[in-house]
Amino acid sequence: MTPKILVIDDDNALREMVGIVLSASGFEPTYCSDGNQALSIFESEKPDLVLLDVMLPGKNGITVCQEIRNIAGTPIIMLTAKSDTNDVVLGLEAGADDYIVKPFEPSELTARIRARLRPVTSSEAVVTLGSLTLDIEGHQVLRNGEQISLTPLEFNLLLTLAQKPKQVFTRELLLEKVWGYQYKADTRLVNVHVQRLRSKIEEDPDNPKIIKTVRGIGYRAG
Amino acid sequence: MLRLLKRSVQARAVATTVALSSVLLVVLGGFLSISIGNGLFDARLQQVLAESEVAVLDAQNIFAASSVSDEVALQTLMNSVVPRLEATGIADSRRVALLRSPGQTGAQILQSPISSGLDTALISPDFRSEVRSSAGRVLYQSIQLSQSENGIVTTSPGVVVGSPIDIPIAGNHELYLVFDLSSEQQTLSFVQQTLFIGGLAIILIIGGVAYLVTGWIVRPVKVAAEVSEEIADGALDVRLLEKGEDVVAVLARSFNKMADSLEQKITKLASVSKMQQRFVSDVSHELRTPLTTIKLAGDLIFENRNELDPQLRRSAELMQGQIERFEVLLSDLLEISKYDAGAVLPELEIHDLTKVVTSAVSSIEPLALKRGSVIELELPEGEVLAEFDSRRIDRLLGNLLANAIEHGEGKPISIAVGLSDDAVAVRVTDQGVGMTESELERVFDRFWRADPARKRTSAGTGLGLAISLEDTLLHGGSLDVWAKPDEGASFRLTLPKVQGEPVKSSPLTLPGSNTSTGGLDLQ
Repeated sequence: MTPKILVIDDDNALREMVGIVLSASGFEPTYCSDGNQALSIFESEKPDLVLLDVMLPGKNGITVCQEIRNIAGTPIIMLTAKSDTNDVVLGLEAGADDYIVKPFEPSELTARIRARLRPVTSSEAVVTLGSLTLDIEGHQVLRNGEQISLTPLEFNLLLTLAQKPKQVFTRELLLEKVWGYQYKADTRLVNVHVQRLRSKIEEDPDNPKIIKTVRGIGYRAG
Repeated sequence: MLRLLKRSVQARAVATTVALSSVLLVVLGGFLSISIGNGLFDARLQQVLAESEVAVLDAQNIFAASSVSDEVALQTLMNSVVPRLEATGIADSRRVALLRSPGQTGAQILQSPISSGLDTALISPDFRSEVRSSAGRVLYQSIQLSQSENGIVTTSPGVVVGSPIDIPIAGNHELYLVFDLSSEQQTLSFVQQTLFIGGLAIILIIGGVAYLVTGWIVRPVKVAAEVSEEIADGALDVRLLEKGEDVVAVLARSFNKMADSLEQKITKLASVSKMQQRFVSDVSHELRTPLTTIKLAGDLIFENRNELDPQLRRSAELMQGQIERFEVLLSDLLEISKYDAGAVLPELEIHDLTKVVTSAVSSIEPLALKRGSVIELELPEGEVLAEFDSRRIDRLLGNLLANAIEHGEGKPISIAVGLSDDAVAVRVTDQGVGMTESELERVFDRFWRADPARKRTSAGTGLGLAISLEDTLLHGGSLDVWAKPDEGASFRLTLPKVQGEPVKSSPLTLPGSNTSTGGLDLQ
């Protein structure tokens, strides 16, 4: 089955070109050019992944990102022309899983998409971490029998940490294991997503018990 | 006190005024006191001399008119003259002595009558001999009288007046009258005291007046200084009060005019800078989106170039290379214009410089090997920790290494790391074409390339070292270069260990003195 990718971008040429690249790489592209229609197209198309331009006419990409995140955990990759502004952090905080800075290589785009669509693998069927139970097959997390809704990325991040409790993961290692970056990437990705994950699984996100920060190094579970 | 004088114009003005008027008053008071003293003395002296003449004449007459013949009667007469002379005259403070002149024939039979309490030692022998040779004139001499009262000795000025007197039978005598001038001394002391108190009061008043007057003049200047400080601190809308027509009002008006135009200029510059930043951001988005499409399309064509005929294939290859170059140029331009707009903030964290160096070397090693250059690493033992933005320093090192490889002619390249108490440093040295001194001077200029005639082999933009220098300055560090034609070039980056701390010297040295410096000048 070919994964369906929703490309939300107002630039006609870029949208079509990205579509060509995606088709050539074995994905099925579908399009949206306007922030106002993004949510309805998302609901009708049910894509496996969303490519979202931050600057959109109508609703901007950050708002669209929030709206999609409110109804689904579908992976979202932002396309941005500005990597060092607040836009990136705002997008990540709005729920985007990853971002690509324009101009990008076709191979970079497909690698990012594949990394996000790769299924989570684990030798065990169930991993427990404190009061949390991770059901890998069912792709869900239970806390005291109560289901917590996580996006695939958040699930992957939590599982990576939970599989080796007590081990300290550097941000770089997490970028490699969870995001699939072979080379240096933006550590803000890790920081923002750990915060988002904590806000869902921790009883007191300001005083985390499950994912702890190891100052100057990274994070560890337990 | 000294600090107050240094700090306050008013204090200085008051102190100067007080000091100068004190000097003047001391001179004036001294002059007054001396002339009043002299006047008092002269007046009293005239009186004393007149009285003395009368007294001498009186005594002379008494002796001349007497008809005593025996010594006893003469002694009685002589004894009576002294109290008589003591009693006449205004002042009761005079003493009399009737002394026999020495060196006469015949023994002294008669006693010399002397007023009680008069010490004849006060009448010096010199004065006596002068009196004897005065041929009847009255002479005087100033003396110090001393009185002992309850064991306390007090001295007061006095005058002794003398005249020869001829007494029948008894021979030549001298008549001395001693006058006490202590009442004149008292008057003088009183006048001096009054002068002193008056002078003190005048100095205080002058000081007060000087304080008030300088206050009036200094206050507007003080206010202007305070307002300038506020403006310098960023409160651009603060102004002076314009009141009246005098020079202070003119100062206030011109000051305010200056502040107005300053405020306008600064506001304009700030808006230009903001516009520049927005422009950069807009250019970024507007250029990057079409470039992405071009890049994706070019890549697709390039990937499938083998399906094209030779001319089209070569075109695709050329286009691919130039798209890459365009991309690098665009990102470098954006980077440098961000620096120009002052919109760059480093993400400072403590990193191990050796790790950053190792990773920069490993990522450029394939290119170096392609050119035949070996990269030799010289790392110190242990970690080299410093506070810096690792992304920027990594980019900077990559740039230095790329330059070394490009100009290194396939010879070995060495990269050394050093540390000291306050700084860390990296030095990248090649043994390639090097640079002349004039080239060295321009090495950090934008779009400048060493030897434009030489074939460009890499996709460098000519902005690399300019950005590296900006990155260095952002960290408060320095980037120094040594180069010599056909011997090679050496770039040394020095960064403070802790941001904001001064760096005395770089932990690494450059091969020679033929250097160019970007940023702080270090030895």
